[in-house]
Amino acid sequence: MTTTEETPRLPFTRANALAIAPDYDVLRRQAPVSRVLTPAGDPAWLVTSYEAAKEVFRDRRFGRSHPAPEQASRISHAALQNGPNGDFDTEERDHKRMRRMLAPAFSAPRMRALGDRIAELTDRCLDDLQAARDAHPGEPVDLTDFLAFPLPVLVICELLGVPYADREHFRGLSERIAVMNGGEDAQAAMAEFMAYMTKLADAKRADPQPDVISDMVAVQADDPTFTDDDLARMGAGLLFAGHETTSTRIAMGTLFLLSDTARRDRFAADPDGQVNQTVEEILRLTATSGTGLLRYAHEDVEIAGTRIMRGDAVLISSDAANRDASVFADPDGFDPDRTPNVHLAFGTGAHVCIGANLARTELRTVFPKLFRRFPGLRLAVGLDEIPVRTNRVAGGVERVPVEW
Amino acid sequence: MKITVDTGSCVSSGQCVLLAPEAFDQNEDDGTVVLLAEEPPAGAEEAVRQAELTCPAAAIRLSGA
Repeated sequence: MTTTEETPRLPFTRANALAIAPDYDVLRRQAPVSRVLTPAGDPAWLVTSYEAAKEVFRDRRFGRSHPAPEQASRISHAALQNGPNGDFDTEERDHKRMRRMLAPAFSAPRMRALGDRIAELTDRCLDDLQAARDAHPGEPVDLTDFLAFPLPVLVICELLGVPYADREHFRGLSERIAVMNGGEDAQAAMAEFMAYMTKLADAKRADPQPDVISDMVAVQADDPTFTDDDLARMGAGLLFAGHETTSTRIAMGTLFLLSDTARRDRFAADPDGQVNQTVEEILRLTATSGTGLLRYAHEDVEIAGTRIMRGDAVLISSDAANRDASVFADPDGFDPDRTPNVHLAFGTGAHVCIGANLARTELRTVFPKLFRRFPGLRLAVGLDEIPVRTNRVAGGVERVPVEW
Repeated sequence: MKITVDTGSCVSSGQCVLLAPEAFDQNEDDGTVVLLAEEPPAGAEEAVRQAELTCPAAAIRLSGA
Protein backbone atom coordinates (compact mmCIF):
# COMPACT_ATOMS: atom_id res chain seq x y z
CA MET A 1 0.00 0.00 0.00
CA THR A 2 1.26 3.43 -0.82
CA THR A 3 0.57 6.45 1.27
CA THR A 4 -0.40 9.79 -0.20
CA GLU A 5 0.78 11.66 2.86
CA GLU A 6 4.29 12.98 2.55
CA THR A 7 6.59 13.36 5.52
CA PRO A 8 6.64 17.08 6.40
CA ARG A 9 9.94 18.83 5.80
CA LEU A 10 11.43 21.61 7.93
CA PRO A 11 11.50 24.59 8.06
CA PHE A 12 7.75 25.25 7.98
CA THR A 13 6.33 28.47 6.57
CA ARG A 14 4.94 31.10 8.92
CA ALA A 15 2.65 34.03 8.29
CA ASN A 16 4.85 36.75 9.80
CA ALA A 17 7.65 37.41 12.25
CA LEU A 18 5.45 37.09 15.35
CA ALA A 19 3.62 33.92 14.37
CA ILE A 20 4.86 30.35 14.29
CA ALA A 21 4.03 27.96 11.49
CA PRO A 22 0.56 26.40 11.94
CA ASP A 23 2.07 23.01 11.01
CA TYR A 24 3.48 22.65 14.55
CA ASP A 25 0.00 22.75 16.03
CA VAL A 26 -1.30 20.30 13.42
CA LEU A 27 1.51 17.85 14.23
CA ARG A 28 1.15 18.25 18.01
CA ARG A 29 -2.56 17.41 17.78
CA GLN A 30 -1.60 14.13 16.12
CA ALA A 31 1.27 13.18 18.46
CA PRO A 32 3.82 14.78 20.79
CA VAL A 33 6.63 13.38 18.64
CA SER A 34 6.40 13.25 14.82
CA ARG A 35 8.42 11.97 11.93
CA VAL A 36 9.82 14.81 9.79
CA LEU A 37 12.55 15.49 7.26
CA THR A 38 15.27 17.97 8.19
CA PRO A 39 16.10 20.92 5.93
CA ALA A 40 18.95 18.72 4.66
CA GLY A 41 16.36 16.06 3.70
CA ASP A 42 17.27 13.42 6.32
CA PRO A 43 14.79 11.73 8.70
CA ALA A 44 14.37 13.03 12.25
CA TRP A 45 11.85 13.12 15.10
CA LEU A 46 10.28 16.48 15.84
CA VAL A 47 9.09 17.09 19.41
CA THR A 48 6.24 19.60 19.54
CA SER A 49 4.54 19.05 22.92
CA TYR A 50 5.71 20.81 26.07
CA GLU A 51 5.86 17.72 28.27
CA ALA A 52 7.72 15.62 25.71
CA ALA A 53 10.15 18.48 25.04
CA LYS A 54 10.90 18.77 28.75
CA GLU A 55 11.32 15.01 28.99
CA VAL A 56 13.85 14.87 26.14
CA PHE A 57 15.75 17.91 27.43
CA ARG A 58 16.10 16.21 30.82
CA ASP A 59 16.82 12.69 29.61
CA ARG A 60 20.53 11.89 29.70
CA ARG A 61 20.09 9.21 27.06
CA PHE A 62 20.06 12.04 24.49
CA GLY A 63 23.18 13.95 23.56
CA ARG A 64 24.77 16.12 20.90
CA SER A 65 27.20 13.41 19.82
CA HIS A 66 26.38 10.31 17.75
CA PRO A 67 27.50 6.69 18.16
CA ALA A 68 28.36 6.53 14.43
CA PRO A 69 28.64 10.14 13.23
CA GLU A 70 29.05 9.27 9.55
CA GLN A 71 25.61 7.59 9.61
CA ALA A 72 23.85 10.39 11.49
CA SER A 73 20.99 12.37 10.00
CA ARG A 74 22.20 15.78 8.89
CA ILE A 75 20.08 18.74 9.87
CA SER A 76 21.26 21.42 7.48
CA HIS A 77 24.29 22.57 5.53
CA ALA A 78 25.19 25.30 8.00
CA ALA A 79 28.40 24.96 10.04
CA LEU A 80 26.63 24.58 13.41
CA GLN A 81 23.58 22.61 14.62
CA ASN A 82 24.07 20.78 11.34
CA GLY A 83 24.91 17.34 12.66
CA PRO A 84 26.64 15.48 15.49
CA ASN A 85 28.98 17.43 17.72
CA GLY A 86 31.61 16.15 20.12
CA ASP A 87 32.92 12.73 21.08
CA PHE A 88 30.38 9.99 21.86
CA ASP A 89 32.58 8.40 24.54
CA THR A 90 33.49 11.56 26.41
CA GLU A 91 30.52 13.85 25.79
CA GLU A 92 29.24 13.90 29.36
CA ARG A 93 32.67 14.59 30.82
CA ASP A 94 33.40 17.28 28.21
CA HIS A 95 30.07 18.94 28.83
CA LYS A 96 30.59 19.01 32.60
CA ARG A 97 34.02 20.53 32.13
CA MET A 98 32.61 23.22 29.88
CA ARG A 99 29.86 24.15 32.33
CA ARG A 100 32.23 24.20 35.26
CA MET A 101 34.62 26.41 33.31
CA LEU A 102 31.96 28.86 32.18
CA ALA A 103 29.47 28.88 35.05
CA PRO A 104 31.27 31.46 37.23
CA ALA A 105 31.55 33.96 34.36
CA PHE A 106 27.84 33.66 33.58
CA SER A 107 26.61 33.43 37.18
CA ALA A 108 23.78 35.58 38.50
CA PRO A 109 26.07 37.55 40.87
CA ARG A 110 28.41 38.37 37.96
CA MET A 111 25.43 39.38 35.87
CA ARG A 112 24.20 41.67 38.63
CA ALA A 113 27.63 43.26 38.72
CA LEU A 114 27.55 43.63 34.95
CA GLY A 115 24.12 45.28 35.09
CA ASP A 116 25.38 48.87 35.43
CA ARG A 117 27.74 48.40 32.54
CA ILE A 118 24.94 47.00 30.37
CA ALA A 119 22.82 50.03 31.30
CA GLU A 120 25.62 52.36 30.23
CA LEU A 121 26.11 50.55 26.92
CA THR A 122 22.35 50.62 26.29
CA ASP A 123 22.28 54.40 26.81
CA ARG A 124 25.08 54.74 24.31
CA CYS A 125 23.17 52.67 21.73
CA LEU A 126 20.04 54.77 22.28
CA ASP A 127 22.08 57.96 21.76
CA ASP A 128 23.21 56.50 18.43
CA LEU A 129 19.60 55.67 17.55
CA GLN A 130 18.59 59.28 18.22
CA ALA A 131 21.59 60.61 16.29
CA ALA A 132 20.63 58.50 13.27
CA ARG A 133 17.13 59.94 13.41
CA ASP A 134 18.47 63.50 13.74
CA ALA A 135 20.79 63.00 10.78
CA HIS A 136 17.85 62.13 8.50
CA PRO A 137 14.72 63.63 10.04
CA GLY A 138 11.50 62.07 8.85
CA GLU A 139 13.15 58.83 7.76
CA PRO A 140 12.72 55.52 9.60
CA VAL A 141 15.70 54.17 11.53
CA ASP A 142 16.57 50.46 11.67
CA LEU A 143 16.56 49.37 15.30
CA THR A 144 18.69 46.33 14.49
CA ASP A 145 21.56 48.54 13.30
CA PHE A 146 21.68 50.76 16.37
CA LEU A 147 20.44 48.59 19.24
CA ALA A 148 19.49 44.96 18.60
CA PHE A 149 22.84 44.07 17.00
CA PRO A 150 25.42 46.37 18.68
CA LEU A 151 24.28 45.99 22.30
CA PRO A 152 24.65 42.20 22.66
CA VAL A 153 27.90 42.42 20.70
CA LEU A 154 29.31 45.08 23.03
CA VAL A 155 28.34 42.99 26.06
CA ILE A 156 29.62 39.63 24.84
CA CYS A 157 32.86 41.26 23.65
CA GLU A 158 33.51 42.58 27.15
CA LEU A 159 32.64 39.28 28.79
CA LEU A 160 34.71 37.11 26.45
CA GLY A 161 37.51 39.63 25.99
CA VAL A 162 37.01 40.03 22.23
CA PRO A 163 37.93 43.41 20.65
CA TYR A 164 34.76 45.29 19.69
CA ALA A 165 36.69 46.76 16.76
CA ASP A 166 36.56 43.29 15.15
CA ARG A 167 32.74 43.23 15.14
CA GLU A 168 32.23 43.56 11.39
CA HIS A 169 34.66 40.69 10.84
CA PHE A 170 32.92 38.26 13.19
CA ARG A 171 29.46 39.54 12.28
CA GLY A 172 30.18 38.44 8.73
CA LEU A 173 31.55 35.09 9.91
CA SER A 174 28.58 34.55 12.27
CA GLU A 175 26.17 35.14 9.43
CA ARG A 176 27.98 32.78 7.09
CA ILE A 177 28.34 29.85 9.52
CA ALA A 178 24.60 29.94 10.27
CA VAL A 179 23.22 29.90 6.72
CA MET A 180 21.27 26.63 6.52
CA ASN A 181 22.29 25.89 2.93
CA GLY A 182 25.70 27.51 3.40
CA GLY A 183 27.65 24.36 2.53
CA GLU A 184 31.31 24.97 1.70
CA ASP A 185 31.10 28.67 2.41
CA ALA A 186 29.71 28.00 5.91
CA GLN A 187 32.56 25.54 6.55
CA ALA A 188 35.15 28.01 5.25
CA ALA A 189 33.69 30.72 7.50
CA MET A 190 33.85 28.35 10.51
CA ALA A 191 37.52 27.61 9.78
CA GLU A 192 38.20 31.33 9.61
CA PHE A 193 36.22 31.95 12.80
CA MET A 194 38.23 29.27 14.62
CA ALA A 195 41.50 30.72 13.33
CA TYR A 196 40.41 34.10 14.69
CA MET A 197 39.66 32.58 18.12
CA THR A 198 42.97 30.68 18.14
CA LYS A 199 44.85 33.92 17.54
CA LEU A 200 42.90 35.61 20.29
CA ALA A 201 43.59 32.71 22.69
CA ASP A 202 47.31 33.01 21.91
CA ALA A 203 47.18 36.68 22.89
CA LYS A 204 45.40 35.81 26.18
CA ARG A 205 47.93 33.08 26.90
CA ALA A 206 50.68 35.67 26.72
CA ASP A 207 48.71 38.31 28.58
CA PRO A 208 45.73 36.95 30.59
CA GLN A 209 42.83 39.28 31.33
CA PRO A 210 39.71 38.97 33.51
CA ASP A 211 37.62 37.49 30.70
CA VAL A 212 36.19 34.16 29.57
CA ILE A 213 38.75 33.42 26.84
CA SER A 214 41.50 33.86 29.44
CA ASP A 215 39.57 31.49 31.77
CA MET A 216 39.44 28.90 29.00
CA VAL A 217 43.15 29.26 28.32
CA ALA A 218 43.83 28.73 32.04
CA VAL A 219 41.71 25.56 32.08
CA GLN A 220 43.56 24.31 29.03
CA ALA A 221 46.91 24.71 30.79
CA ASP A 222 45.74 22.14 33.38
CA ASP A 223 43.86 19.82 31.04
CA PRO A 224 45.64 18.71 27.85
CA THR A 225 42.52 16.86 26.66
CA PHE A 226 40.96 20.30 26.08
CA THR A 227 42.57 20.89 22.70
CA ASP A 228 43.22 24.10 20.75
CA ASP A 229 40.51 22.96 18.39
CA ASP A 230 38.02 22.52 21.28
CA LEU A 231 38.89 25.96 22.58
CA ALA A 232 38.53 27.65 19.20
CA ARG A 233 35.21 25.95 18.48
CA MET A 234 33.82 26.79 21.91
CA GLY A 235 35.01 30.39 21.71
CA ALA A 236 33.42 30.84 18.27
CA GLY A 237 30.23 29.19 19.54
CA LEU A 238 30.04 31.50 22.56
CA LEU A 239 30.66 34.60 20.48
CA PHE A 240 28.02 33.50 17.98
CA ALA A 241 25.46 32.44 20.60
CA GLY A 242 26.16 35.46 22.76
CA HIS A 243 25.05 37.94 20.18
CA GLU A 244 22.86 36.29 17.53
CA THR A 245 20.28 34.98 19.97
CA THR A 246 19.95 38.08 22.17
CA SER A 247 19.96 40.29 19.11
CA THR A 248 17.00 38.33 17.78
CA ARG A 249 15.16 38.69 21.09
CA ILE A 250 15.64 42.46 21.23
CA ALA A 251 14.36 42.85 17.67
CA MET A 252 11.43 40.48 18.15
CA GLY A 253 10.58 41.84 21.60
CA THR A 254 10.36 45.33 20.16
CA LEU A 255 8.14 43.98 17.40
CA PHE A 256 5.84 42.30 19.94
CA LEU A 257 5.54 45.54 21.90
CA LEU A 258 5.05 47.75 18.83
CA SER A 259 2.61 45.52 16.98
CA ASP A 260 -0.18 46.63 19.35
CA THR A 261 -0.28 50.26 20.49
CA ALA A 262 -2.24 49.46 23.66
CA ARG A 263 0.36 46.85 24.58
CA ARG A 264 3.17 49.35 24.00
CA ASP A 265 1.42 52.06 26.03
CA ARG A 266 0.76 49.68 28.88
CA PHE A 267 4.43 48.73 29.03
CA ALA A 268 5.66 52.32 28.57
CA ALA A 269 3.45 53.45 31.48
CA ASP A 270 5.23 51.18 33.98
CA PRO A 271 8.33 49.65 32.41
CA ASP A 272 10.11 48.77 35.64
CA GLY A 273 7.05 47.13 37.16
CA GLN A 274 6.30 45.07 34.07
CA VAL A 275 9.66 44.28 32.63
CA ASN A 276 10.37 40.88 34.19
CA GLN A 277 7.11 39.29 33.14
CA THR A 278 7.15 41.06 29.78
CA VAL A 279 10.60 39.66 29.07
CA GLU A 280 9.46 36.14 29.97
CA GLU A 281 6.51 36.48 27.59
CA ILE A 282 8.80 37.75 24.82
CA LEU A 283 11.09 34.78 25.44
CA ARG A 284 8.15 32.36 25.35
CA LEU A 285 6.70 33.69 22.10
CA THR A 286 9.80 34.46 20.06
CA ALA A 287 10.11 31.80 17.41
CA THR A 288 13.75 31.46 16.44
CA SER A 289 15.22 28.59 14.51
CA GLY A 290 13.21 26.67 12.00
CA THR A 291 14.48 23.34 13.26
CA GLY A 292 14.55 23.32 17.05
CA LEU A 293 17.43 22.05 19.16
CA LEU A 294 19.24 18.92 18.05
CA ARG A 295 19.84 15.72 20.01
CA TYR A 296 20.74 12.16 19.08
CA ALA A 297 19.45 9.15 20.98
CA HIS A 298 22.35 7.35 22.67
CA GLU A 299 20.13 4.32 23.43
CA ASP A 300 16.71 3.09 22.35
CA VAL A 301 14.26 5.32 24.22
CA GLU A 302 10.49 5.55 24.43
CA ILE A 303 9.12 9.10 24.59
CA ALA A 304 5.37 9.73 24.90
CA GLY A 305 4.64 6.30 23.40
CA THR A 306 7.05 6.71 20.48
CA ARG A 307 9.99 4.37 20.18
CA ILE A 308 13.14 6.25 19.25
CA MET A 309 16.09 4.13 18.18
CA ARG A 310 19.73 4.60 19.13
CA GLY A 311 21.31 7.08 16.73
CA ASP A 312 18.03 8.71 15.65
CA ALA A 313 18.04 12.50 15.35
CA VAL A 314 15.57 14.35 17.57
CA LEU A 315 14.70 18.01 17.06
CA ILE A 316 13.10 19.68 20.05
CA SER A 317 10.98 22.62 19.00
CA SER A 318 10.91 25.03 21.92
CA ASP A 319 8.91 27.33 19.65
CA ALA A 320 6.14 24.74 19.44
CA ALA A 321 6.42 23.59 23.08
CA ASN A 322 6.09 27.19 24.26
CA ARG A 323 2.76 27.44 22.47
CA ASP A 324 1.32 24.15 23.70
CA ALA A 325 -2.29 24.93 24.67
CA SER A 326 -2.29 22.16 27.29
CA VAL A 327 0.21 24.22 29.31
CA PHE A 328 -0.31 27.84 28.19
CA ALA A 329 -3.89 29.13 27.97
CA ASP A 330 -4.46 31.15 24.77
CA PRO A 331 -0.93 30.13 23.72
CA ASP A 332 -0.58 32.61 20.85
CA GLY A 333 -1.72 35.55 22.96
CA PHE A 334 0.84 38.01 24.38
CA ASP A 335 0.01 38.10 28.08
CA PRO A 336 2.62 39.51 30.46
CA ASP A 337 0.32 38.63 33.39
CA ARG A 338 0.74 34.94 32.63
CA THR A 339 1.79 33.05 35.74
CA PRO A 340 3.52 30.73 36.00
CA ASN A 341 5.33 31.16 32.71
CA VAL A 342 7.73 28.24 32.69
CA HIS A 343 8.69 28.39 29.01
CA LEU A 344 11.49 26.42 27.37
CA ALA A 345 13.15 29.28 25.49
CA PHE A 346 16.51 28.39 27.06
CA GLY A 347 15.89 24.66 27.00
CA THR A 348 16.06 22.88 30.36
CA GLY A 349 18.02 20.07 31.98
CA ALA A 350 21.77 19.61 31.96
CA HIS A 351 22.22 21.52 28.68
CA VAL A 352 20.12 24.56 29.65
CA CYS A 353 21.50 27.72 28.01
CA ILE A 354 24.48 28.92 30.00
CA GLY A 355 23.86 32.48 28.85
CA ALA A 356 20.26 32.63 30.11
CA ASN A 357 21.08 35.02 32.94
CA LEU A 358 23.09 37.21 30.61
CA ALA A 359 20.22 37.33 28.12
CA ARG A 360 17.69 38.11 30.85
CA THR A 361 19.89 40.86 32.28
CA GLU A 362 20.28 42.47 28.86
CA LEU A 363 16.60 42.20 27.99
CA ARG A 364 15.49 43.51 31.40
CA THR A 365 17.74 46.54 30.87
CA VAL A 366 17.01 47.30 27.26
CA PHE A 367 13.20 47.42 27.09
CA PRO A 368 12.58 49.86 29.99
CA LYS A 369 15.32 52.14 28.69
CA LEU A 370 14.02 52.02 25.13
CA PHE A 371 10.42 52.82 26.07
CA ARG A 372 11.23 55.40 28.73
CA ARG A 373 13.26 57.29 26.19
CA PHE A 374 10.94 56.72 23.21
CA PRO A 375 7.45 56.09 24.64
CA GLY A 376 5.89 56.92 21.29
CA LEU A 377 8.09 54.51 19.30
CA ARG A 378 6.21 52.89 16.41
CA LEU A 379 6.85 50.58 13.49
CA ALA A 380 7.53 52.44 10.27
CA VAL A 381 6.21 49.58 8.11
CA GLY A 382 3.51 46.96 8.46
CA LEU A 383 4.36 43.75 10.32
CA ASP A 384 4.02 41.74 7.12
CA GLU A 385 6.74 43.84 5.50
CA ILE A 386 9.35 42.75 8.07
CA PRO A 387 11.36 40.00 6.35
CA VAL A 388 11.85 36.84 8.47
CA ARG A 389 15.18 35.04 8.15
CA THR A 390 14.07 31.49 7.42
CA ASN A 391 17.45 30.33 6.22
CA ARG A 392 19.38 31.01 9.46
CA VAL A 393 20.06 28.73 12.40
CA ALA A 394 19.15 31.47 14.90
CA GLY A 395 16.25 32.82 12.85
CA GLY A 396 15.39 36.45 13.46
CA VAL A 397 14.33 39.27 11.19
CA GLU A 398 16.24 41.31 8.64
CA ARG A 399 15.33 44.73 10.07
CA VAL A 400 13.00 46.62 12.38
CA PRO A 401 12.35 50.07 10.89
CA VAL A 402 11.02 52.41 13.57
CA GLU A 403 10.07 56.05 13.92
CA TRP A 404 8.92 58.35 16.73
CA MET B 1 7.47 25.98 54.16
CA LYS B 2 10.95 24.50 53.86
CA ILE B 3 13.37 24.87 50.94
CA THR B 4 15.86 22.15 50.10
CA VAL B 5 18.41 22.10 47.28
CA ASP B 6 20.29 19.23 45.68
CA THR B 7 23.71 20.57 44.72
CA GLY B 8 24.55 17.20 43.12
CA SER B 9 21.96 17.61 40.39
CA CYS B 10 22.34 21.43 40.10
CA VAL B 11 23.51 22.49 36.62
CA SER B 12 24.61 26.01 37.65
CA SER B 13 22.05 27.83 35.55
CA GLY B 14 21.64 30.51 38.21
CA GLN B 15 17.99 31.06 37.33
CA CYS B 16 17.03 30.74 41.01
CA VAL B 17 19.45 33.52 41.98
CA LEU B 18 18.06 35.87 39.39
CA LEU B 19 14.50 35.09 40.51
CA ALA B 20 14.93 35.00 44.29
CA PRO B 21 18.26 36.50 45.38
CA GLU B 22 16.91 36.61 48.96
CA ALA B 23 16.92 32.81 49.12
CA PHE B 24 19.62 31.63 46.70
CA ASP B 25 23.17 32.41 45.69
CA GLN B 26 25.77 30.73 43.50
CA ASN B 27 29.09 29.18 44.46
CA GLU B 28 31.88 31.35 43.00
CA ASP B 29 33.92 28.37 41.80
CA ASP B 30 31.45 26.22 39.92
CA GLY B 31 28.22 28.18 39.96
CA THR B 32 26.27 25.60 41.96
CA VAL B 33 23.38 26.74 44.13
CA VAL B 34 23.93 28.02 47.67
CA LEU B 35 20.86 28.10 49.90
CA LEU B 36 20.69 31.34 51.89
CA ALA B 37 17.43 30.70 53.71
CA GLU B 38 15.81 27.47 54.92
CA GLU B 39 12.40 29.07 54.56
CA PRO B 40 11.27 31.58 51.92
CA PRO B 41 11.95 35.07 53.32
CA ALA B 42 8.85 37.25 53.78
CA GLY B 43 7.72 38.64 50.45
CA ALA B 44 9.82 36.19 48.45
CA GLU B 45 7.43 33.19 48.60
CA GLU B 46 6.21 33.61 45.03
CA ALA B 47 9.73 34.11 43.68
CA VAL B 48 10.91 30.95 45.48
CA ARG B 49 7.97 29.01 44.06
CA GLN B 50 8.92 30.28 40.58
CA ALA B 51 12.50 29.19 41.19
CA GLU B 52 11.30 25.68 42.07
CA LEU B 53 9.17 25.53 38.92
CA THR B 54 11.80 26.86 36.56
CA CYS B 55 14.90 25.11 37.90
CA PRO B 56 16.24 23.28 34.82
CA ALA B 57 17.62 20.47 36.98
CA ALA B 58 14.63 20.18 39.34
CA ALA B 59 17.19 20.69 42.12
CA ILE B 60 14.96 22.89 44.28
CA ARG B 61 12.20 21.41 46.42
CA LEU B 62 9.58 23.13 48.55
CA SER B 63 7.89 21.09 51.24
CA GLY B 64 5.35 21.66 53.99
CA ALA B 65 2.55 24.17 54.16
